[in-house]
Amino acid sequence: MNIINRRGIAWLSGIARLIRPGGRRRAAGRQWLIPLAVLAGLSLVAAHYARDRGVLQARLLTTDPDGIAADHGLQRYAISIGRPAFQDHCASCHGRNLRGDTMRGIPNLADGDWLYGTGRVGEIERVILYGIRSGHPKAWNLASMPAFATPNPYQAYSIAPLTPHELGDVVAYVYGLRHPAADPAAAARGSHVFHKTGLCFDCHGEDARGDPAIGAPDLTDAVWLYGDGTPPSIATSIAHGLAGACPPWIGKLRPATIRAIAVYVNAAAAGGRSAQERSHAG
Amino acid sequence: MPDDLRSTRAMLLAAAGALTGLGIAGYGLFTAAGTTTHAVPPEDVALVNQRPILRSDFINQLQAETGLKFSESTEADRLKVLDEMVREELLVQRGLELDFAETDQSTRNALVSTVTQQVTVSITTDQPSEDQLRDFYESHKAQYATDGTMLVRNFIVSGRSAGQQDRLDVARRAAQALRTGQPLERVVAQYGLTEAKRNDEDYYFAAKYRLGDALFAAVRDLGDGEVSAPVTLPDGVHIVLMVRNAKPVPQGYAASRTQVFSDYRSFAQQRVLDETMAFLRHRSSILIAADYAGRYRP
Repeated sequence: MNIINRRGIAWLSGIARLIRPGGRRRAAGRQWLIPLAVLAGLSLVAAHYARDRGVLQARLLTTDPDGIAADHGLQRYAISIGRPAFQDHCASCHGRNLRGDTMRGIPNLADGDWLYGTGRVGEIERVILYGIRSGHPKAWNLASMPAFATPNPYQAYSIAPLTPHELGDVVAYVYGLRHPAADPAAAARGSHVFHKTGLCFDCHGEDARGDPAIGAPDLTDAVWLYGDGTPPSIATSIAHGLAGACPPWIGKLRPATIRAIAVYVNAAAAGGRSAQERSHAG
Repeated sequence: MPDDLRSTRAMLLAAAGALTGLGIAGYGLFTAAGTTTHAVPPEDVALVNQRPILRSDFINQLQAETGLKFSESTEADRLKVLDEMVREELLVQRGLELDFAETDQSTRNALVSTVTQQVTVSITTDQPSEDQLRDFYESHKAQYATDGTMLVRNFIVSGRSAGQQDRLDVARRAAQALRTGQPLERVVAQYGLTEAKRNDEDYYFAAKYRLGDALFAAVRDLGDGEVSAPVTLPDGVHIVLMVRNAKPVPQGYAASRTQVFSDYRSFAQQRVLDETMAFLRHRSSILIAADYAGRYRP
């Protein structure tokens, strides 16, 4: 038994001795001690509970983030904190079901497809701590999508705008990565722009599979961050650029809460990934 | 002293003592700050002069340096990275003591950039409601249209020996000939026109850049196949044949939403930045030298 409990029992015994039966007159004079004893007892129970919570929170914070999923008790505890915290602070953008909103360019966190990193707890925690293009010096902020139909497509360095034909060709190329090309010549020209003059490969990669180190999306899969993957939607993204943002929560939420949200999101994504794999296998 | 009074006083003192004890115990039990002044909080891996080094940052730096997951790293790796982070914190704190923000230009640049971003962070990461975006769209409707594009051929009458009036006359006659449908090659040859560099179809902003403001203004409303009036520029008199002009078409809210959102954010960021600067100026004492004071306008 821990020291707090031993002291607590001693206290309660002392108080009980004070109010032990000793004649009606004495007991009546000490009746006011009863609520005090109840209060002390409740305080001890609360202290015991708080101590256990403190131990769990410390474990949550000191355990290797990638190892939490293997500790089911700790993961359950983290999810019990993370789920309500997510609903309170993140669901207004990402949705209560974590599925985001392609209309607003808010990523689906439950599909197991990650824009930044690979979905490990530590990586998710880092996004929650410092945000994306949030203004925090430690935020993810290495690149954003240039607006190729504007005079100065990119703020960080000089990139030439595309002509309408070039833009149309790139749309044909990108759309053709997953669909039969309606105009193979346009797609071929678009590939040249993508891999040479337009510098698209610099972020999206030679194979257009993106780069999770800078948040560049994979253009070959069926997951679209903005819009629905149709040619007009792709054209809008290329023409006007994109730069989504996520706020930093460091200093606003407790470290344990931030890690708990990361554990919750990681677990939800793992569930989504399993469901996808099952559906593909089926 | 009567027994009753003594007994009451004893009870009151006992009650006060009990309540004080409970208060102190409660404070000690429920506030970690009161009991862990010299302990490293679980979320941190070190405290350097009470400045925390977050475990999350430590793990991230370890992974960045070693390329390994935390669980795969060795104790020696961890201690090495930990010491590097402690050293960095010590040097940063020393830098603050030396007030490099006042003297080092790169530090100043970084501060300006960071504070500017920090000022607008709430706007950058805010998700405006659909009603706010629709209101913004309605009040800036004119700027939401498809991107206009044009394909032009730009001809110049630049005979050096000829006078200005002669060049203008030649250009007028050449333009008229084109309008009456004479073949382009024949008009070019007959009036000695030279053609500026031919470009692919361009967005309006690019066409404006290539043609210049004056010429672009003269051609932007031309229909397909129309010819501009002669425009005199320093390099000669220009006439422009509009091959194709896809004028901007107003777009509804749904089609413009991405751009509306981006513009809304830029607009709000600028407003917050302006307000912040106004606030900083208002609370500051800024004295401008006499030779600039009269003309200085923030």
